[in-house]
Amino acid sequence: MACFERASPALKQILLQLYHSDKPSAVEHHLHEFGSLQYHIQSYVSEARHVYLSISTPILSTGSSTLHGFPRYTIETVKGICHEVVQIVEPAKTGYQLTLKLDFSKIPRKKDAVKVITEISSVQAVILSSQLRELLTNVNAEEISQGAYKPIKLVYHPNEPFYVVKQPAKLTAVFPIRFKEDSDIVIAKAFFQELVDVGNSGVCARAPPCYWSPIPPPELRGESMKDLSTNAGFVSFEISARHIEGKKLDKTVWSLLNFNALVKYHVKCTKGFVQRRMRSRLESLVEALQQTGIEEDHNTAKVKGHRGMKKLIKVTKGAMKMKRWNLTKKIRRIRSRLRIHGFKRFQRCWLKLPSFSTVMSYQKIEKS
Amino acid sequence: MASSVRLYLTCIRNTLEAAMCLQNFPCQEVERHNKPEVEMKTSPELLLNSVVICRNEAEKCLIETSINSLRISLKVKQADELENILTKKFLRFLSMRAEAFQVLRRKPVQGYDISFLITNYHCEEMQKHKLIDFIVQFMEDIDKEISELKLSMNTRGRLVATEFLKQFI
Repeated sequence: MACFERASPALKQILLQLYHSDKPSAVEHHLHEFGSLQYHIQSYVSEARHVYLSISTPILSTGSSTLHGFPRYTIETVKGICHEVVQIVEPAKTGYQLTLKLDFSKIPRKKDAVKVITEISSVQAVILSSQLRELLTNVNAEEISQGAYKPIKLVYHPNEPFYVVKQPAKLTAVFPIRFKEDSDIVIAKAFFQELVDVGNSGVCARAPPCYWSPIPPPELRGESMKDLSTNAGFVSFEISARHIEGKKLDKTVWSLLNFNALVKYHVKCTKGFVQRRMRSRLESLVEALQQTGIEEDHNTAKVKGHRGMKKLIKVTKGAMKMKRWNLTKKIRRIRSRLRIHGFKRFQRCWLKLPSFSTVMSYQKIEKS
Repeated sequence: MASSVRLYLTCIRNTLEAAMCLQNFPCQEVERHNKPEVEMKTSPELLLNSVVICRNEAEKCLIETSINSLRISLKVKQADELENILTKKFLRFLSMRAEAFQVLRRKPVQGYDISFLITNYHCEEMQKHKLIDFIVQFMEDIDKEISELKLSMNTRGRLVATEFLKQFI
């Protein structure tokens, strides 16, 4: 529904590019933000320093009726944004609720230019805030005097309505909170608990008291069951006069408008944080398991032999070669045939082995 | 570390030391097959009595032993809703990455949060005492991580809440 920054970053970038471009060019941009917000930016070659900005945004609905087109006070507020530079074009471009003609030639140079363009880029925030601001400041005296503190249902986004209950001394904003996933609900509940604790502590003593309850607060008695069925309970802020006086009004309105988005953003960031922590822990656990592998036994490698043995082994290369040559010579000598005179005869007479009949063979005896 | 946790972990360590005497044992039913008997449970004579070590109702450990494999199942304490979500998330995260652990089972035994399956091959590849150290360290780390996560989440929530409320001042 809304961005935490008032100015749309994309719109600001495009406008700054157009502002800094020296050559007049025909440019057309379509921007879609948060699903339902649309910007159309157009510049022509014929109109060198002029840019047309059209905007279509979901506007405040009070539940029972949806307003068509912007109310007068919203138009007045928009006119208040750099009235020298911004001019409202009527009728607005087809399909859009508002068209602004921006005259860049009237923007002061250098530092102020960025400030002015940032202000123009926050037109959607101005439109949204103006409606709620008007609602908060114009307290219906008759309604309060009658004691009928009927809650006003405000719908900026179809799934995220919230209620404002006007009372003589204070104003209560009630946010029904819904989430799709169970884990989101638990994280959001933990956040609400912290919100209530911080609100009650001395750190933010001047902040509006904050309450969380799983059941609808008594102020919402009589509302439809569909609107009051939530899974993450109801968060209420009691806003007193000091929170909406002077410059604080804008901040209060913007904070209330962004509360739903803030809770969702917090839940998303917390889930991301948990995921990062789990990933890092996984790495450390895997590392611990890898250390359980069987390593080489270093003790055996370190065992030293006997000193004398080492001395024996320690010989020079030349000596080793000499030893090897001697050994080869010896082997050759052993293998070579010895020639001894009369040895064959001696072998035949004395060293001849007698032939025995084996088990496998037998001698046939001839009949005489 | 609290003395009760120390006792609980020491008891698990001792039981594991006693139980982790695994040997190679081929399947008796199918030729040339070698399966963890603690999972298959084909022959009752190959299974030992399982041991349950309880610290309390919410925190317990089941050790099932067979001739060639050992299954350890853990139930981690979940004091509140937040701890419950964090434990589920974390253990699911680990189970999804079971291939990185070798000994971790993809699906825990019913009634437990996470299970390990140690076979005789794991005991041959790894050092037994270090494997037992790892299991005990894992149990300690899980508890510590859940507590730290819970604390961090609450701290983050408190910071965000303070910043939000400061806008009204």
